[in-house]
Amino acid sequence: MNFNHALHLNPEIVDGIEGDTETERCLSCHAFREDGTFAGIPKLDKCLECHDDPESPLGETPEEQEFLNKYVAEEQEIPWLSYYRQPDCVYFSHIAHVKMGDQDCETCHGDHGKTEKLPAYKVNRMTGYSIDIWGRNIAGYKANTWDRMKMDDCAECHTENDLEDNNACFVCHK
Amino acid sequence: MEINRRHFIALLVGGAAGINATPLPWKFTDDIAIWTQNWPWVPVPPTGEFSHVKSVCTLCPGGCGIEVRKVDDRAVKIEGRTDYPVNPGGICPLGMGGLQLLYNESIRFTGPMKRVGPRGSGKFIAITWDEALSTIADRISDLRKQERPEALAAIDGNPTMSTMALMIERLLRAVGSPNYVRIPSAEETCRMTNLVMQGTEGPMAYDLENADYILSFGSGLLEGWGAPGRVMNAWGLWHEHTAKRKARVVQIESRASNTASKADQWLAPKPGTEAALALGLAHVIIKDHLYNADFVDAYSFGFNNWVSSDGKNHMGYKTMVLNSYSPDQVAEITGLRPKDIVSLARDFAGAKAPIATCGKGKGYLNGSLYEFMAVQSLNALVGNINMLGGVLVCDPPPLSPLPEIQKDTIASEGLKKPRLDHAGSRRYPFSKSLIGDLAKTIIKSPKSPVNTLLVFSANPDFTLPDGGAFREALKKVPFIVSFSPYQDETSYMADLILPDHTYLEKMDDVVWPTGLQYPLYGISKPVVKPVYATKNSGDVIMRLAKRIGGSVGSSFPWKKYDDVLKERAKGLFDAQAGQVHYDGSVPAWKRLRERGSVTPDYKTFDDMWKEIKAGGLWYLPVHAYKNWERLFKTPTGKFEFFSTRIELAFDDYTLKISEETALKNMGITEKGDAVFMPHYEPALSDADRSAYPLLMMPYEMINLASGWTPNPPYLNKTIFDNQLRKDESFAEINPKTASKYGLKEGDRVIIKSPTGTVRVRVNLFEGAMPGIVYLPLGFGHTAYDEFSRGKGVNPNDIIHMGQDPLSGHPVWWNTPVQLIKV
Repeated sequence: MNFNHALHLNPEIVDGIEGDTETERCLSCHAFREDGTFAGIPKLDKCLECHDDPESPLGETPEEQEFLNKYVAEEQEIPWLSYYRQPDCVYFSHIAHVKMGDQDCETCHGDHGKTEKLPAYKVNRMTGYSIDIWGRNIAGYKANTWDRMKMDDCAECHTENDLEDNNACFVCHK
Repeated sequence: MEINRRHFIALLVGGAAGINATPLPWKFTDDIAIWTQNWPWVPVPPTGEFSHVKSVCTLCPGGCGIEVRKVDDRAVKIEGRTDYPVNPGGICPLGMGGLQLLYNESIRFTGPMKRVGPRGSGKFIAITWDEALSTIADRISDLRKQERPEALAAIDGNPTMSTMALMIERLLRAVGSPNYVRIPSAEETCRMTNLVMQGTEGPMAYDLENADYILSFGSGLLEGWGAPGRVMNAWGLWHEHTAKRKARVVQIESRASNTASKADQWLAPKPGTEAALALGLAHVIIKDHLYNADFVDAYSFGFNNWVSSDGKNHMGYKTMVLNSYSPDQVAEITGLRPKDIVSLARDFAGAKAPIATCGKGKGYLNGSLYEFMAVQSLNALVGNINMLGGVLVCDPPPLSPLPEIQKDTIASEGLKKPRLDHAGSRRYPFSKSLIGDLAKTIIKSPKSPVNTLLVFSANPDFTLPDGGAFREALKKVPFIVSFSPYQDETSYMADLILPDHTYLEKMDDVVWPTGLQYPLYGISKPVVKPVYATKNSGDVIMRLAKRIGGSVGSSFPWKKYDDVLKERAKGLFDAQAGQVHYDGSVPAWKRLRERGSVTPDYKTFDDMWKEIKAGGLWYLPVHAYKNWERLFKTPTGKFEFFSTRIELAFDDYTLKISEETALKNMGITEKGDAVFMPHYEPALSDADRSAYPLLMMPYEMINLASGWTPNPPYLNKTIFDNQLRKDESFAEINPKTASKYGLKEGDRVIIKSPTGTVRVRVNLFEGAMPGIVYLPLGFGHTAYDEFSRGKGVNPNDIIHMGQDPLSGHPVWWNTPVQLIKV
């Protein structure tokens, strides 16, 4: 199902997305919980804050209609696929990067928040993980930081920022 | 071109080298690394939002507070609550394993079921709630139309003052049946003891934390007695090595249980002779003038000899004890040494706040009424009734009574019929339920007088220490309905299953955790949404009543079960006493000691109810100590060493029959005035002791569920190899006894009683009393799943059940057995 990030972050169309920086605006849906854990992709409750009535769509798109009929009316969570889910052996802390490391969302996630259409989800048949993790070519050549997010990429960024200590095994593989 | 071997090898090598130059092997290896972590059987829980739900555990009557950690909607861990007065952060292994009772499809009923295979086979098909309710409602209505509503009976394992117990009994009485039968328990024996000696029907409220000497008559203080979270915390308090607080713990038990092993002193009298020991201690205390004369002289009755209004001379407690229970006499009976009895008595009486506790093992199984009376008489002798650090006499939480039950003519007539278990009859005047006699009545009658049997929160097929008698009775009952959420043995014998929620899925109350020394009302609330299509049995009873209609329906004027709980709680508010918040820094027992005041910490009833639901707690940590003038509600107004209530009941019984016959029927061997006082009754058996020279004693472990709740598989991991190995359980036998039969460690042996046989392996244990074979309770299931079924043997199957004198309750501590080496 498609989700139009650009439309939802447009202050002329959608009210209530607060924040001065782009990162803060991302956080209004992809929030940190009180205990510091990252909520990830928001649950249906977040969408229901505005789209609460399955009978009255807020726009004219067929996607919204599908969303209202299939998910809001049935009270079903949308089974979103995650482009950025790391393997289970990796312990990744968003708050360490966003708050402590002062990183923007775009540094790792690119212009995802500005897209009108969600990019196609391509998954590795063997591992079940998205191509955004594995990278689009085997040589590991990438134009943007977000083209590949394997261990070497994490290490590369840590080294560049003078945080080589963070490359110790136990930091990520708890 | 010719393909010869050389070309073939070249092709292979070239191919291999070529493949390495492609991305294939590198990508493949990388992917395999991740793929091996994602096999479907590797448990990786989904991520989600963390939350905590506070509730109260109801797996045993202890009522420890629990905190359940959840990830999104799934409960993942149960821990003890630090902010609950019963158990400061403590929890027992069964409580911790509770999630395995919730999320276990292989042992739960996922919805209403109808039996399709033979009884005991466990073959059921799913039916709708509508069909299930109609089936029973129609059946009960038919019984009423035939004017025999008393053919409906119910077995209830819910705690005595709980709302569920009230609802079940209410249903039976509204229908018109007096046959509401409860599972026998130590609490019931305590109630009867208090009734005949103090005139109060409350539980034994032991002020353990403030006591400085604990004389435990077999109570499994570390085996799960009372509220385990509380008792283990108290144990810690007792053993704090400060000059101020060092309490002494003495365990009286024939076997070196964990409690006995860790107590300060362990004495092992022969099983069944504990009453003699208690009275032997009384002898020394009286002889040496160590008793509390203030209390005994002014506030007790029957201590000295007395003359009744008809001019008859009566022997008092003092004379009886001094004549018949000298240390030498008691040593003969119990097997202990006289000097140990003397020093124990002096230690007990010399302590500032000594408590003698009763209720063996976990305190689930009933005790002997005369024995409990003997133990309680010790507490009275030292004047520690209703004193700080003693046995308190409390009022139960002031819950509102429920409205009157509506009874039509059919119901009134039915209720006039005598109970099928003869409880409360002239023969068993103090007992409220006698399930053993119910089984006997059913078995003896050509046609079962019970037509429809409802079973709630109980698994009598497995847990009753009756050598399988109840199971035989079940076979004869035409229609059995089980409300158990679990696929237990009794449910397998049932024809219809209306499964309840598990304790983590419903709201229910906890009225006074076992043995607590102040009134406490807890609310256990749902932690997760119901996992399966089960329904709260309280709601089901109300729906059933409405379907039956008439006066039965109008006896349940509530919409849902939660409303009943709320209505009862109104009384707590009206009493304007008690608090709903607990500050862990001041434990309740300390507040009792400091005798502060307790003012309500809520304004309106709705406030209070909201707080109770949130925190699960209402409690009153204040007590009016002493108060001996107004405390006892006996006919004499005093603590009765000589129970006038027993005397009155006996007089009533002997109006039509001779004293000898009466005593024989009640199972009492003693004669004369001693009958009305605590005394030692030797446990009689009809078995031929030359053929069955040994005794079998069951014992309980804290890490093995032995009541009606199933055993969480986690706990299996804590069982030692010399208790259960593969599918065989072990019997603990003293090496001396074992060598008489030529038995070595691990040998297979058959234990045979007059009632049955079991096959076990031998565990040589010095802590086992010679001549006694000990079997753990909790093994030998024939239902549930592969973690319980077929593992070990159930000692209840071979218990040669006797009947306790005066109470008629099961005697499970006197099973003569023989050993046959395999």
